[in-house]
Amino acid sequence: MGPKTINAKGDTVYHQIPTFRFLNQDSVIVTEKDVEGKVYVADFFFTTCPTICPKMKTQMLRIYERYKERDEVRIISHSIDPDFDNTSVLKDYATRLHIEAPKWNLLTGDKAAIYKLGQKSYMVSAQEDPNEAGGFVHSGAFILVDKNRHVRGIYDGTVETEVNHLLEDMEVLLKE
Amino acid sequence: MKKLAPILIAFFFFSCQSKEEITQQQYAVEGMALYKTHCENCHQADGAGLRDLYPSIQKTQLSPEALACLIRNGKKGNGYMPANAKLQALDIAELVTYMREKWGNKKQIYPADSVKIALQNCR
Repeated sequence: MGPKTINAKGDTVYHQIPTFRFLNQDSVIVTEKDVEGKVYVADFFFTTCPTICPKMKTQMLRIYERYKERDEVRIISHSIDPDFDNTSVLKDYATRLHIEAPKWNLLTGDKAAIYKLGQKSYMVSAQEDPNEAGGFVHSGAFILVDKNRHVRGIYDGTVETEVNHLLEDMEVLLKE
Repeated sequence: MKKLAPILIAFFFFSCQSKEEITQQQYAVEGMALYKTHCENCHQADGAGLRDLYPSIQKTQLSPEALACLIRNGKKGNGYMPANAKLQALDIAELVTYMREKWGNKKQIYPADSVKIALQNCR
């Protein structure tokens, strides 16, 4: 999924998640190398979000529990409030949610880089909005990315049946 | 339909219930709708919370006064909970009435007047 471009040789180049570099809840640097050859699910959240995030986390936990023992599956949750969500806040959040890296990375870092990655690469909305409860507006999407960092599906992470579809599609991508 | 439900329930119980019981029912029904909108995302429909992230409210030891303050003002720092500044005294009264019927097994109204007093004395 996503826009295609034509390179200098005239070949079609498919949209790919670019390189990235953020810190996770253990203060470890996480880059695109950490998802090399893995199928992963990405989403955007912030720890003090009162609206859709708790629902998203409830659903993401289903994915986490189901693929706990499968090394080819990863989850990446990008905080869109990195000023507040520093690594120690994320660590506390992860501990209380009973989740661990590297299976589920909660990432923080440069705000502009996070928003750009969300809007341009994952094709979801993620930005500050003082009118919104909690101060940020972001999509509740779960983005399914294949082993070559191509976006293969976008699902509503607040809806159980949508996440069922994601789980089905995940199986297909794992066999590729 | 949402607006009709409490009226229907009130009507149904009219002949065999006291006025206070009817009001309690009305509060509880409105409170249930408010719970869905303002609380359920985190604390879940059954009030069990989400792991250690959002606490269970099924067995809260908080007094109704403390609950009213917590709902209105939220909690800062560790165990953060957002404030609900837009909820009026009546909304909070309905919420607390619903919660204590559902999880406190106590069919007793928590009046809006009491909420007003409680909110003036929040710590």
